[in-house]
Amino acid sequence: MRIRVRVNGRDYQQEAPDHWTLLRFLREGLGLTGTKEGCGAGECGACTIIMDGLTVNSCLVLAPEADGTVIETIEGEAVAGELSPLQRAFHKHHAVQCGFCTPAMILSIKAFLRTNPRPTVREIQEAIEGNFCRCTGYQQIIEAVQEVTGQREGQEELGHA
Amino acid sequence: MLENVPAAELSCVGRGVERIDTVEKLSGAAYYTGDLRFPGMLFAKVKRSPHAKARIARIDTHKARALPGVHAVLTGADLDVRVGLYLVDKYVLARDVVRHFGEAVAAVAAETPEIARKAVDLIEVDYEPMTPVLDPAKAIENGAPLVHPDLGSYDYVKEVFSPVGGTNIANLSKYRKGDVDKAFAEADLVVEREYTNPSVQHVPMETHVTVGQWQPGDKIQLWTSAQSPFTVRNLFCHAFKLSHNQVRVFIPYVGGGFGGKAGIHLEPLACSLSRAAGGRPVKIQATREEEFSLLPCRSGLVNRIKTALTKDGRILAQQMTMLWDAGAYADYAVNVTRASGYSAAGPYEIPAARIDAYTVYTNKPFGTAYRGFGHVEFSWGTERHMTVLARAIGMDPLEFRKRNALRPGSITLTGEVIREHTGNVTRCMETVAKAIGYGEELTPEWQQRELETGRRIGKSVVALHKAPAMPPFTGTAVVLRMNEDGTVIANLSLTEIGAGTYTSLAQIIAEALKFPIERIKVPVENDTDRDPYDWQTVASKGLMLCGNAAILAARDLLGKAYDMAAQVLRANHCDLDHDADRIFVRHNPECQVPFRALAVGYAYPNGNGIGGPLVGVGRYIAQGLTNLDKETGQGLPALYWTYGAHGLVVEVDPVTGEYDVLKVASAFDVGKAINPSAVRGQIIGGMIQGLGTAMCEGYIYDANGKLLNPNFTDNKIPTSLDMPAEIEAFVVETPQVDGPFGARGVGEHSMIAICGALGNAIQDACGADLTKMPIRAEDVWRALETAGPLLESSATIRNRAACNTRER
Amino acid sequence: MLRPFFYVAPRTKAELLGILRDEGPGSRLLAGGTDVLAELRVAGKAPKQVVDIKKVEAFQGIRFDPGEGLSIGPRVTCADVLASPLVHREYPLLATAAAKLGSPQLRNRATPIGNICTASPCADMAAAFLALGAWTEIESARGVRRVEVKDFFVGVKQTVVEPDEVVTRVVVPAEMAGAAGDMEKLKRIRGHDLALASVALVKHGGKLHVAIGSCAPTPVVLPVLPVDAPVDEVKAEALKVIRPIDDVRASAEYRTFMVQVFIERLMARVEPQ
Repeated sequence: MRIRVRVNGRDYQQEAPDHWTLLRFLREGLGLTGTKEGCGAGECGACTIIMDGLTVNSCLVLAPEADGTVIETIEGEAVAGELSPLQRAFHKHHAVQCGFCTPAMILSIKAFLRTNPRPTVREIQEAIEGNFCRCTGYQQIIEAVQEVTGQREGQEELGHA
Repeated sequence: MLENVPAAELSCVGRGVERIDTVEKLSGAAYYTGDLRFPGMLFAKVKRSPHAKARIARIDTHKARALPGVHAVLTGADLDVRVGLYLVDKYVLARDVVRHFGEAVAAVAAETPEIARKAVDLIEVDYEPMTPVLDPAKAIENGAPLVHPDLGSYDYVKEVFSPVGGTNIANLSKYRKGDVDKAFAEADLVVEREYTNPSVQHVPMETHVTVGQWQPGDKIQLWTSAQSPFTVRNLFCHAFKLSHNQVRVFIPYVGGGFGGKAGIHLEPLACSLSRAAGGRPVKIQATREEEFSLLPCRSGLVNRIKTALTKDGRILAQQMTMLWDAGAYADYAVNVTRASGYSAAGPYEIPAARIDAYTVYTNKPFGTAYRGFGHVEFSWGTERHMTVLARAIGMDPLEFRKRNALRPGSITLTGEVIREHTGNVTRCMETVAKAIGYGEELTPEWQQRELETGRRIGKSVVALHKAPAMPPFTGTAVVLRMNEDGTVIANLSLTEIGAGTYTSLAQIIAEALKFPIERIKVPVENDTDRDPYDWQTVASKGLMLCGNAAILAARDLLGKAYDMAAQVLRANHCDLDHDADRIFVRHNPECQVPFRALAVGYAYPNGNGIGGPLVGVGRYIAQGLTNLDKETGQGLPALYWTYGAHGLVVEVDPVTGEYDVLKVASAFDVGKAINPSAVRGQIIGGMIQGLGTAMCEGYIYDANGKLLNPNFTDNKIPTSLDMPAEIEAFVVETPQVDGPFGARGVGEHSMIAICGALGNAIQDACGADLTKMPIRAEDVWRALETAGPLLESSATIRNRAACNTRER
Repeated sequence: MLRPFFYVAPRTKAELLGILRDEGPGSRLLAGGTDVLAELRVAGKAPKQVVDIKKVEAFQGIRFDPGEGLSIGPRVTCADVLASPLVHREYPLLATAAAKLGSPQLRNRATPIGNICTASPCADMAAAFLALGAWTEIESARGVRRVEVKDFFVGVKQTVVEPDEVVTRVVVPAEMAGAAGDMEKLKRIRGHDLALASVALVKHGGKLHVAIGSCAPTPVVLPVLPVDAPVDEVKAEALKVIRPIDDVRASAEYRTFMVQVFIERLMARVEPQ
């Protein structure tokens, strides 16, 4: 089926087999490989993108279902080569280790902060509950979010005994 | 090396600088192996065994081969190639028999994944199921069915390992210290218990993936998500009898490894399919389900511990029998067995010890390295046991640990003498104890919480140690190349799998050169044709060995630059100094030459050139380590010991067994935190990963050896909502004399012993006496059913009035 | 990777019913996709076609009719339920259940009707619908029928819905508006997980309604009891309707125990309006 989507502000029209997931269409059809597959079953959230304003696991959306939608992926986050404030906060707070979950994590938080610009820690945890991270233990990710929301300044210190 | 440089004199080391690899990871620009596409690339799928053990009576691939779009179909019959890290026991595809559920028996490469999958469906396999051996204790009994009847004829590393042919024992490592029998005879008390761990999956977010190309003329290229490019190359060449010059391994960005990508896995299959397909590149990526049983996991462990102690809390002797459930292939498990054996006392002095550590073959998915390399598993038992011992003699468990802790003058199981600069485990324990208010009255907030919820709060402190598990002669090299503009590229083959080591190495290089870190590039991708040798990215040894090599490379580069400068400036070498931009004469600083002018060789105004491009080479190899005596385990295996401790506060529902971790404080003696923010990330990330092992992870099999939970639906890992409510991370800095700027590794340690911390805190809270991993609410509930009367909590002095209202 | 199939997305209910009449057995209905696509990924065979029902305009929306009650269409997601002030005001248990289902990404796609059509014993929405006495409207080219949710499930992942049928609405009766209710869900982790055992409990109009998940081949509901029924009696009724099994998630014994604990907790916590 011919898929028409607007991704990161750019219009695309491309054929994709009916059974392709949106994840595969983004990666293999449009060459946007920043979105990752972690399980293919909607459990880990590594394929999270924003579709019509809502986060979805793109492994659980068929490409034809995305026809006519507006999509945001990690490739649209940095504008003109400049990292977004959220990306800068991740960078500063060591919120990235292997980086495989990072694009999806950024998109989950981005969508969440639009509806809740000053969240509690608990609310941040709930917002990224569907995004597994095996490296960071989530703490530095949460600290990065708090920096973006103006609830924290500076890096959390490592204690010296 | 440079371990005594005062912090005030350091400009880059010791600062939480931003990582050098995150911008591309944050923007989606970082290419992982699965993102790569090559012209003509084919896609592979495997046919996997539904049986734990079966004879392959027949495989018919005719229909698969006939399917349009299929370029290669392979079965075990096509590949008489065995691979193995320490013990060469695994065929690329199963031949004649399958030895575990999920083992690959055939593979297809086709133009699309859909065609490959359809072709796999068309492969017909007739199995004759056989009775599997699943329980490691039964597997070592006389007459047990053999997983590898030909074990006696397999190649293995003879200096280090001891497989027992005609049995399921892939290795037996023995450790003997002191007079154990005498100590047991003289003890006030002997306590013997058994602690168990299931197999656990690493769960890197990126599953294993490889693109292999075997071109005509036997020129091979591999792009693979692996931790150890040179080990992949070496084992590949051994298996296929190729020259090392014929194989080139590239490592793109790696989406997590945790040990699961330390060895060689999908690479031989991808390349074999490519060869069969005429040299087209073949990509094979494990599905998440395949990650659980086609790829390896962490070995299970049955850990029997018998301890002799005195009434006043001194351990006299310990006897341990460790049955490591390796599954169907030895892989790293034999070395996990060895390394855990010599470390199995924990950070305590055991005057007399007898440890027998068995690697046992069973018909289950096989075990490999996993962050902590056995220490997570055995420390569950040993740290539970320490608390059980303390409780048995009515002593506070922290006091008991401190009394027996290793200190300068202590002698380890293998005969190593602990020194002042080895590190300070007691300080780690005291730090975390203070952080969680161990032994203090509960805070008013927590007292109120107990009253309101009817839940009970418990605390614990555990200690841990680990040394790098590696060959005693492990070496590495770093090459620094100066660019025309005075920037520097560092080539090395430790991989950046997420731990942030490359950033720390960039800091070390910057510090050693006195350059700003912005001038240092450490390319994240590795290439065995470009980069110098490194053994593997494992064992928390990378920062130490590569860091030292990096310092030496910096000195080498500067030495060559000084040689040139001395000539250009007509000065003595010894009168020169440098800053970030130039080399100058110390007593006449205007007499100078910029690095830029030296970078690719100096050119005089008339065109004469001297020197040549600046390249610095640093090599470093572990010093003074030995193989261990096979009968006694005596020798020197430890490059260094990193000590640590966790303090944990848990809240338990004493009726249902539901619990929440309220706080974890962790401290590690890292020698020197090169990048404190990265160290904090390792401490917290590993601690949560360890809590996953403790709370919810682990393989579950049916009676026939079928894995029942090979997915995230039934193998949960911690999410953001599973974090402890409060987390604190500390370092102790006892400089490592031979570490770069005094640093030692800490990549694995945060995972270790956290399981014991949870079990002990739960026991402190509600009396549940746990011996099995993981601890699900149901397990606490069952343990409560059989728990004895609640002891007066030793870790937590409660508000007694509040406490009495809730006695069960 | 999914095995190949065709994708069709009818625009009208009539078109959909025609497709199902002609090709029902080879068709797989797709709403939110969070169950269907996960299942197709591991299934040995693909259906001939996947029929996306989200383009049918009539399937939109959450509506309240004072006579009939709350009507939820097949396109409504769990996130829609959570975002509905009407639901929070009149049927707060539905919001509680929707919030317990999956992760944010899953709730943005998963639909309450899809949740009951998957008919997993652990379906979170099913427990809430059962406790609220909801019913479904099922249509085919042959006509419309109404089936109570308590009669909807016939086995593990099996429902009364025939291959040519589609559930067009789930309706929570008007008399349950304003019902006080809550839900307890046993999980293995604090993050998103399936229910190992769950209890949804409603106190309303002098009556007590209790539904239980993950403790039988289907979600089950107790006979309606008086609101002041003693806790022990409620527990005894629960034990009559549950048939829990041992599996990788929990033992039958623990499920049985926790169901009783949950009943105790909810009986104490839920205050009738």
